[in-house]
This record gives sequence, structure tokens and C-alpha cells, in this order.
Amino acid sequence: MTTLSSRAVAGALAGAAAVLWLSPAFAHAVCGDRIFPATLAIDDPGVGDELALPTLTWLPQNSGGSQEFDATFSYTKTIFPGFGLSVQDGASWQNPGGYGWKSLNTEAKYNFLCIPEFEFMASVGTTVIWENTGTGTQTQPFNVYQPVLDVGKGFGDLPKSLNILRPIAVTAELSESLPSQAWTNGNQNSTNINWGFTVQYSLPYYNSHVGEIDNSFFKHLIPITEFAFSKPISNFAPGTNQTTGTFQPGAIYMADTWQFALEAIVPVNSASGHGVGVVGELHFFFDDIFPDTLGKPISKWGQP
Amino acid sequence: MIRHSLIKIAASLALAFAATAAYAHAQLEKATPSVGGTVASVPEIRLKFSEGVEPRFSGIALAAEGGAAVPLGAPSVDPADNSVLIAKVGKALPPGVYTVTWHAVSVDTHKTQGSFSFTVKP
Repeated sequence: MTTLSSRAVAGALAGAAAVLWLSPAFAHAVCGDRIFPATLAIDDPGVGDELALPTLTWLPQNSGGSQEFDATFSYTKTIFPGFGLSVQDGASWQNPGGYGWKSLNTEAKYNFLCIPEFEFMASVGTTVIWENTGTGTQTQPFNVYQPVLDVGKGFGDLPKSLNILRPIAVTAELSESLPSQAWTNGNQNSTNINWGFTVQYSLPYYNSHVGEIDNSFFKHLIPITEFAFSKPISNFAPGTNQTTGTFQPGAIYMADTWQFALEAIVPVNSASGHGVGVVGELHFFFDDIFPDTLGKPISKWGQP
Repeated sequence: MIRHSLIKIAASLALAFAATAAYAHAQLEKATPSVGGTVASVPEIRLKFSEGVEPRFSGIALAAEGGAAVPLGAPSVDPADNSVLIAKVGKALPPGVYTVTWHAVSVDTHKTQGSFSFTVKP
């Protein structure tokens, strides 16, 4: 309890210090009139200072046949405007299988394009899942390298005659998983292609661009469906190159400095699991909470 | 052990957030005339944001149906509420559809922008 109190006080002091430093802040996934929310199955197209804690996932039966519960976090720090580094990790409990700490997942990501009038933005990144950083069921004795492309497009540029469609946005992600080791204990480590997309209907956008929503809850809500797929494309064992994936209908409540997302997880085929799971995530926008300290890039390099 | 650590981190963050004035992107919460609404007259454009805004770096423009600009007074904030940006309309607007285009810089310098239409009825 003493430790908890001292850490809490330290956190409070850090927060108090944050408001004393004043300098320009930078936006998260904002392009033109569009604010892209943080999504769960795939990454959003922006780079910002943010913390997802916790992300809780429950699967009645995962692709390996086990019941699974995961508790993870993700933290992203911008180094210079548009470029950030993130770490993601957490715990997994499987039955059968037991407990395991997940392998450390890091990403370097650069937001290289935003066309405000088209609400279009794109980012590239490289993810590394580090070898021997997991335990138990999550042990992985090799690195996995993953180049990633993320894009997002809002439809606010549609003509006013299609006003009702202007709150729609889509985001998409394409990546390839490249294991550093072809074989482990006699098993092939396949190279996979991964892709996914989201379809969102932003009621905040509707409220500010199309028509007033006279309900303080709904005006912050973004109904969303996410899709995520993966398919082995090389170095796979015979008969194991099925496409696996999920689709995830749900909603995101977007407040000013945080958001909460809740989605069902529906496997697309039997190779992807069985039953409907659920994922929930609390997400903090550090660029909004600590705009002058933790929430801004370390360097202004490249700032227009 | 891990669970306790996560709880400690979460508690520290919660206190840190509570101790910090939370600023954010100024999002349009409500407008007068209302977004997509129909009105009889428009003495001023009044935009209520989710955060306080800086009038010196924020702006409101009004355009008639053909795109012709309608003159507005300099934007100011409501003295009682710095999240409300106001621009006076200098003359009575004839019936038609008008488009408001705004940009806002919140008090922590985040920038947002948007636009919406309203109708002045005959």
C-alpha cells in the first residue's frame, strides 16, 4: 500500500508538472475535418502520443482450441512530428495452456501523408516481435519482422447531396510477417500476409457537419466494424495455409481525452476459432492530456 | 505480481490525469444556427466547442449558396465561456442555404476545422 501511495503521488506530481510547461502541441490521428479513432483489430493511420491500458480480450475458443483471456497495453511516444515508437505487451491465460507473458512487440511508424481536403492519411511502419521475451504459452525463440502500411479515408468530401454518407470513414492495413527463423523444433515458421479494414460511421462528425444530435452520449459514438485476416504465403506445412481472421462489430465512445471501444470477435471460419469473443479497450490521448510534456514529440524536427 | 503492477500503474495514471487540466482538440458540440437546421433570422454565428478556443487563431466564414462570402464581424469568445466562439452577422440574410466554415485553435494550440450548412427560410 505504501508503494502504491508513493507511486500515485509521483504520478500526480508528474501530472501537475505537465501543466506548467507550455509550448505547441501536435495532433493525433486528425486529417482535415476527420478524427480517426484508435481501432482494435488493426492500427489507425495516425501517429500520436497515446496509451491503451488495458486492452482486455476474451475468446471462448481460439484458433488453437483453447479458451483465452488476454490483458495487454500499448504505449506510443512521438519522437518528431509524424514519427513515433510504440511498445506493446501483456499477459495471456489459456485453458488448456496456462499463463504466458506475451513477446515484446515494438513498432516504428511514420505518418507520411495527410491530404486534408480528402481526409486521407497514410503511414508506414515496421513492427518487431522480439524473440525470447515471452514466457509459457507465449514463448517464441525467433524475431518476427513486419513492414506495415496503414491508410485512412474519410468521406466528408462527398457532395452535400450525399450528406448522410459523409460521416463514413474507412481505414485499412496491410502487412507481411517475416520470421527470422525458418524452422523451430521441426516446425515451419510461415511467412504470412496480413490485411484488414474498418468501416466507421462517426456520429461526432455527423453532429458537427450534417445535423445536430441532441443526445450527449450518441454524439460521441462511432459504430464500427473491423475485419482482420492473415494467410500463410510461404514456408508453411502442407494444408496449413488457410486464411484465418475475424470480423468485429462494435462501437467506440470518443471523449475529448480518451476513448472506450467494445467489440465482439467473430471468427470467419473454423480455422480461426469458435464462438463469439469480446474485446474492450480504454485508450488515452496523451497529446490531449499532457500537451506540453509527455504528449508532444521529443524533437520538432520536420515540423512545418 | 503483474496484476498488482498494472493496478499501481493505472492508479498513478488516474491521479495524474486528475491532477492535470485536461485540454484537447476543440470539437464542435453545438451551433447556432444549428447544424443542418432551418432558421428565420441569423443575428450571429455561435459555435460551442468541447474546449476553450483562442479567438485570435480561430475563425468563422459564412458563404451563400453560390459561394459568395457573407461579411462577418471579427470572431470573439463569450466572456462567460471561452469555449463559445461568436461572429456577428452584419446584415439580414435573404432566404437560402448557407455554409459555415470554421477553424479553431484550442487553448492548448491543437487545431481543428469543419463546416456545416443551415437554411434561412423565406
